[in-house]
Amino acid sequence: MSDVVEKTLTALPSLLSLDSQPGSAKLSTNSKLGNLIRGITELTSKHEEEKLIQRELLSIKEQVSSPNTTMMKELMVRTIYCEMLGYQASFSYIHAIKLAQQGNVLEKRVGYLAVSLFLDESHELLLLLVNTVLKDLQSTNLIEVCMALTVVSQMFPKDMIPAILPLVEEKLSHSKEIIRRKAVLALYKFYLIAPNQVQHIHNKFRKALCDKDPGVMSASLHIYLQLIQENPEGYKDLTVSFVTILKQVVAGKLPMDFNYHCVPAPWLQIHLLRILSLLGKNDQRYTSEIMYEILDESLRRAEMNHNITYAILYECVKCIYTIHPKSDLLEKAAKCIGNFVLSSRINLKYLGKNQKKK
Amino acid sequence: MIKFVLMVNQQGQTRLSRYYEPVELSRRAALEAAAVRCCLSRNKDQCSFVEYKDFRLVYRQYALSVFLLIFMFNIKSNFVEVLDKYFSRVIMFNLDSVHVILDEMIQNGHIVETNKSRVLAPLTAINKMVDG
Repeated sequence: MSDVVEKTLTALPSLLSLDSQPGSAKLSTNSKLGNLIRGITELTSKHEEEKLIQRELLSIKEQVSSPNTTMMKELMVRTIYCEMLGYQASFSYIHAIKLAQQGNVLEKRVGYLAVSLFLDESHELLLLLVNTVLKDLQSTNLIEVCMALTVVSQMFPKDMIPAILPLVEEKLSHSKEIIRRKAVLALYKFYLIAPNQVQHIHNKFRKALCDKDPGVMSASLHIYLQLIQENPEGYKDLTVSFVTILKQVVAGKLPMDFNYHCVPAPWLQIHLLRILSLLGKNDQRYTSEIMYEILDESLRRAEMNHNITYAILYECVKCIYTIHPKSDLLEKAAKCIGNFVLSSRINLKYLGKNQKKK
Repeated sequence: MIKFVLMVNQQGQTRLSRYYEPVELSRRAALEAAAVRCCLSRNKDQCSFVEYKDFRLVYRQYALSVFLLIFMFNIKSNFVEVLDKYFSRVIMFNLDSVHVILDEMIQNGHIVETNKSRVLAPLTAINKMVDG
């Protein structure tokens, strides 16, 4: 494993602990949740599990209604666990919203998380969240802005989009790239639920595509994938931009931390390949011609040595077959499929079979 | 698009679940149980992709006796690797932090961020703010 991965993984346990004490003290802070999980694991029948959870929910219900709510965050986490097992805890929804409104940063995060897990888009309580989100979007604390944008991209009532749209648009030109990226993803969500409301900002998407930060640019690809799926003809002029971006990625121009197992930004490559295959479908020749060189290059670079390169090869081959055909590329692609099918790894055989079917 | 992510232990008990499409609470347990049964019954030599009803399941088993299941509608690539990095040493009692990490990586059923440092950044910042 590379050094960076090793370092991240060793740092992970300490990041995940809520206090700075090592070892068993970690569990004691979360002892109630820990006890609950242990309790559930030890039980053998569904009936007993039901009894235990119902008891737990009753106790949580009493505690959330009491005025002293310092343990609210911990109660919410236990409620999340109970709901995850399938036991409804609708009494806690309103408390989750309150936690997101009033708590400190960590409590807010848990509150927002609980809301995104408990509620769905059509729930009436979601309207109560809108004010909190609006407030947090205008906060000077960047972490709160991030949390608000995350929640907005997960669920947001369609009717309240006009209220929040200008604030989100404004974030598109923020100096911090994480906020720009999350703003793009929020707009993607708005496009999915109410496309007519974001018609006027398509030029801002183009700006995001050309953003100097690769994270923001790759977030905009989600929107473009959707737009191009609906209307490939309208975006053929962008083919050159996508090919240029892919060229730069494959040539290793991105910062080192975008590398994954020595492959430069594989998910970005996969995304771009999907977009290119949509643009080149049913094409006469012109658009596809622009792509041949980069497809050749990607096929060459992605050697068969890791799961993720197989994924890139898969997408590459799919793209080659969808666009206007070129004989030597087709030959290389066929060889690739052959390698998959003949490989000893069962997953690759499956991928190869899939490709042959299509 | 990813429909949901599920993590279970070897007995098939759900440790973490995240749905990217609204599914009723009552249906979830049955769906999870059926999918888990499907994957648990397969042996090592079988491929990690399984067809179940109209879903395609991708799963992977870890030494820490935690399975990882991802339900996808259209399997295009193998991205179990990214979750492998983050969850191989996860301590399950920190359910909320795991969710935060998962949220940073997958939103609306699409993978949005795979850069290690960027995924962990918000969590680190929150923890710093709480401690400092």
